[in-house]
Amino acid sequence: MKKEGEKKMGMKSDVQLIKDGKRIDGRNFDELRPLKIEAGVLHRADGSCYLEWGGNKVIAAVYGPRECFPRHEQDPLKARLTYRYNMAPFSVEDRKRPGPDRRSIEISKVSRQALERVVFLEYFPRTSIDVFVEILQADAGTRIAGITAASVALADAGIPMRGLVAGCAAGKVDDTVVLDLGKEEDNYGQADMPVAMLAGTDEVVLMQMDGDFSKEEFDQAFELIRKGIKQVYEEQKRALKEKYEKGIEGDINDQ
Amino acid sequence: MKQIITPGEKIQGKVNNYVYRKGEEQYATIYGLLSEREGFNKIVPLKGKYTPVEGDIVIGIITEVKHNGYFVDINSPYSGFLMSQKEYNHGEVVLAKIIRVDEVKRVLLGEDRKLVGGNIIEILPVKIPRVIGKKNSMLNLIREKTGSEILVGRNGRVWIKGGDIAKAEEAIFRIEREAHTTGLTERITKMLEE
Repeated sequence: MKKEGEKKMGMKSDVQLIKDGKRIDGRNFDELRPLKIEAGVLHRADGSCYLEWGGNKVIAAVYGPRECFPRHEQDPLKARLTYRYNMAPFSVEDRKRPGPDRRSIEISKVSRQALERVVFLEYFPRTSIDVFVEILQADAGTRIAGITAASVALADAGIPMRGLVAGCAAGKVDDTVVLDLGKEEDNYGQADMPVAMLAGTDEVVLMQMDGDFSKEEFDQAFELIRKGIKQVYEEQKRALKEKYEKGIEGDINDQ
Repeated sequence: MKQIITPGEKIQGKVNNYVYRKGEEQYATIYGLLSEREGFNKIVPLKGKYTPVEGDIVIGIITEVKHNGYFVDINSPYSGFLMSQKEYNHGEVVLAKIIRVDEVKRVLLGEDRKLVGGNIIEILPVKIPRVIGKKNSMLNLIREKTGSEILVGRNGRVWIKGGDIAKAEEAIFRIEREAHTTGLTERITKMLEE
């Protein structure tokens, strides 16, 4: 087994990824892995979120808006957004050498740019909004899991946004287009395309692709992703709403 | 009718704030509570930092002494500058009014008053209107039942002196936790009378 950081598409293997119309983990082609989101799990952060998506375990924390340091990075017109994607040493099969590497720096950058499109940064001049995403356990699709958790954490911090960002990936395994790749499908598949959108709209804020699709396959994958993102968005909303509906004596609907 | 809304949700009807328009529709910008009344809806955020607004009364802590005034921590991403003839030391607590906020959110404070003794607690600034209540009703209730002297800053700081401080703090933290529920006044009254 190789580390997630070293993946190459179309690795030769004898693994048969599709059997009798089902995928290796028993899912249908258009089925997501089980997704669970919980908002507001950290008390020291202004906003936070814990997410489990298949074997992925992600925790996101948001701090801010707060004073921006170093001073020269302050922008008199808008807030600065920082995003740190970090994998725990124990998140993958072999130990991951701690600290930022080329892969996590790239993921941090694209995720930051995706969120910059969505947060109303101009409401908080001279400040900084800091997002930290820790991957506790990786199982394919961590950048998408990270950005999905981060947007819930941003909402939980009370930061104004145009909407939540939800993500989902699709790929090609055994010449079939499937939604939300699992670990084996990611490692031995032919293509992987993570996409994040401004949920509830068709606005794409992040799109990458590894491997290759034909035009038809791409359209098919994109359609699958759109449906997947809808489900992810519903779970995000549920997580945020649940937090204030439970555990309180007065029913908020009885006025 | 009240409901919890998340950023990006479509909002019908007239709303006070916290929405943006796109085409014909309007969408929420914030995680909050939407209460619907005939003809006019209101969105109250559930969380968020304090943004200085002119005219607000805030409780600040002196962080730096300059020759013509003081830098004051006002529990916000922006620090305030207090122009005052009075003498303060680093770490002292003031009640002050926000005189001016400019376009890059530089904050000028005035009408200051030193607060000596007492305890300060910090709660979410968005819950402060609930701690005060309609026409100070909630605040007067806590003052009366605990015998404490209480001052509330719009920036989320509450200063309490004398009386049953522990009870007053407990009541305020409970209001913060349950600010979005109805029938809160009755529950707080019951709690304070125990």
